[in-house]
Amino acid sequence: MSEQKEESGLLLECRGINKSYNGPMVLTDVDFSMRHGEIHALVGENGAGKSTLIKIITGVTNRNSGTMRFEGRDIGLEHSRHAAQTLGIAVIYQELSLIPGMTVAQNLFLTKEPRFRMVRLIDIRKMNAMAQEIIDCYGFHLKATDIIDHLSIAQRQTVEILKALNSKASLVIMDEPTSSLTSTETSQLFDIIRKLKEEGIGVLYISHRMEEVYNLSDRVTVLRDGRKVAVLDEAQIDPAEIIRLMIGRRLEESESHHMLSRRDGEKVLEVEHITSERKFTDISFSVHAGEILGIGGLVGSGRTEVLRALYGIDPIDSGSVRFFGKPWTPGVAQSIRTGFGFIPEERRLQGIMGAISITGNIGITNLDTIRKSLFVSDRKELSLARKAIGLMNIKPADPAVPVGNLSGGNQQKVVVGKWLIRDLKVLFVDEPTVGIDIGAKEEMYQTFAQLSAAGVAIILVSSDLPELTRLSHRILVLRKGRVIKEFAEGEVTEEDVLRASSGLVEGGAK
Amino acid sequence: MKFDRAKVQRLIADSRLFIILLLLGAILTILSPRFLTIENLSNVLWSVCLIGIMSSGAIYAPVTGGIDLSVASNASLSGIIAYELMNVGHMHWVLALAITLAFGVLIGLVNGVLTTKFRVPAFIVTMAAKTYLFGFAMLVSNGATITIMGPPQFLAIGVGKFLGLPIPIYIMLVMIIASHILLKHTGFGRKAIAVGANEVAAKLSGVDPDLTRMIVYSISGVTASVAGIVMASLTQQAYAPNASGYELDVITAIVVGGTSLMGGNGSVAGALIGAVMVGFINNGLNLMNIPASYQPLVTGVVILLALILNQGIKMPAFLRLLKRA
Repeated sequence: MSEQKEESGLLLECRGINKSYNGPMVLTDVDFSMRHGEIHALVGENGAGKSTLIKIITGVTNRNSGTMRFEGRDIGLEHSRHAAQTLGIAVIYQELSLIPGMTVAQNLFLTKEPRFRMVRLIDIRKMNAMAQEIIDCYGFHLKATDIIDHLSIAQRQTVEILKALNSKASLVIMDEPTSSLTSTETSQLFDIIRKLKEEGIGVLYISHRMEEVYNLSDRVTVLRDGRKVAVLDEAQIDPAEIIRLMIGRRLEESESHHMLSRRDGEKVLEVEHITSERKFTDISFSVHAGEILGIGGLVGSGRTEVLRALYGIDPIDSGSVRFFGKPWTPGVAQSIRTGFGFIPEERRLQGIMGAISITGNIGITNLDTIRKSLFVSDRKELSLARKAIGLMNIKPADPAVPVGNLSGGNQQKVVVGKWLIRDLKVLFVDEPTVGIDIGAKEEMYQTFAQLSAAGVAIILVSSDLPELTRLSHRILVLRKGRVIKEFAEGEVTEEDVLRASSGLVEGGAK
Repeated sequence: MKFDRAKVQRLIADSRLFIILLLLGAILTILSPRFLTIENLSNVLWSVCLIGIMSSGAIYAPVTGGIDLSVASNASLSGIIAYELMNVGHMHWVLALAITLAFGVLIGLVNGVLTTKFRVPAFIVTMAAKTYLFGFAMLVSNGATITIMGPPQFLAIGVGKFLGLPIPIYIMLVMIIASHILLKHTGFGRKAIAVGANEVAAKLSGVDPDLTRMIVYSISGVTASVAGIVMASLTQQAYAPNASGYELDVITAIVVGGTSLMGGNGSVAGALIGAVMVGFINNGLNLMNIPASYQPLVTGVVILLALILNQGIKMPAFLRLLKRA
């Protein structure tokens, strides 16, 4: 066995990994390997299976079949989080696993604190010294006594990395680590990653940002639809090629080319040079009645922030907005009364009130129409709920069921349904089909098409490229808080959008 | 009509607390022949009316996921303020009570502003309020126990009777019914529940969570003040620790009544049932001549049993619903 280890010299080797959660295959026959001290990027579209592969490697979920070897040791089908940690596999979360009120040292040595010999109390001085030693050893700009709460997100990530190093990790996994970092912080993180490589630690890096993958990686594995499509060596890494591989098969299908079409209805919303500090800069566009305006771009590019500002949740620092030609200052309550609707991302956190019935969830958005002076009409509220249940085909069709008990697709139908019973003019939609089944997805698309046909202006933010290109009449691409590209007419492919999102606007690699 | 299993389950779930109350009543009837008389039952209602009045307004804080621990201090202070205005300041009793109530609103509003605008947890804000309001009451009353001799209209609030029942019972019933309507049938009630269920989702639906919470604590303040006035009239006394400890009885009534301290639901009728249940236990123990030193122990255990029974019936139904979805 040990001879083989020397021969292969691989840090991690996965072969023929298969995984399905209930029914459809999420990963099919995936091979994946990491060398010692390599920076390896894992790329793929949303739903390609990246997260699932990571979960399998870190023991969060178990594979159905296939073999896994880590540092020459076989990992059985019954893998676990704890086992992964003991082996030396660490995942860097953005901030979740740190305790905010504690110091860097306390977090690093949590449950492993050095103690006095006689009285088993924690030796704080020794702990701080030990922590500082580790920090200095890697040359990080941190103090052992810094409190996590007072650190920037980038610094917190550094502490996470230290924690991994302190537990003798030989594989560090980072899932989109730069999505909330500034460019300076990003380059600091890259320095750290390179330092890890020098120490012989393997770094598995997941990112949608092509320039990062291009700059940083020794190798790249591309996943598509749950299969491995390519492993590229350093010399072969080319952002345009990677994008082609990620989109791949669908290019051959007619569906991947979408004709954009101009809508010449009345201008419903005109946005002129709006800016919000640290979120987005100088955004201008207009939406016509009956138009679906898609907004593409990477997570963190300012898409959601623009929607939130226009709906009136967050303030706009400068610039102006016009609604049917008249100046308009957004504010949530007025927005709703005037005919705006908002379908937020992260349904469970922002969209639904889980413990409350379908009726209650729908009623709260429609208080203005079901209220007569002071009192709410239960009868009207119930009839609105029944109407929404009918329009969206919500199952079970029982208005009294708590929304938290519904399936993901039906929960989302409630979130959409509560707007359909209003006199809607503009609908903001943010990642409407994340985590819902295909059937519900199709119904959602039909609903948006019907709304558009009825003259509602829709602004759609989506990371799901097939969804974005299929539904939109026109597509804006945001990058780093600015509009970097508009696809207004003619043909658009998912590849075009992804290239623009990654900053490869005019075709050539950088 | 079609037999709808889910509906039947919900009906049982909704009325299970009332069933527990009836069970308790049945047990006490068997244990003591003097329990089930109109006079005794009216005594029980009378004994819980202050808790009932306070609960009618204090329930909104847990509905929004908060808590109000200042209601008892607020009530004691209100009694003292009413006395000072009427008997020392020689103000007309109606005006004096109006000002007292306005003061109650103000106390609640301050709690609300501190929790929303300064982001201090409600537990801490109202805990502090409990202490400083007590301090303020000590200052105003010079730490003395004041005996209130009049005016007769004021004393009638607490000791008067109408159709054979004490007036405080009517005040409690009116306030419980009004609060029930406010919670279940007005926009404000819906907003309070929504804020407790998911503040972000509520905000995106056009609810102003801060404004809602400020109103919530103001309501809590004014009902505490009403209770304080009734208490002063009933006991013909005003002193700083007059209602001391009532805030926990109020929370007990609300929680036994099925309102979650996590927010997002609430039952005013349940809170009344909760209060009556505690009243039943105390009354039953008295009737059975059980020494006072045993009573808190028994009360605590019975409350715990009621809560477990309440949960115990809810869990399987909840699991079945999940499976169905």
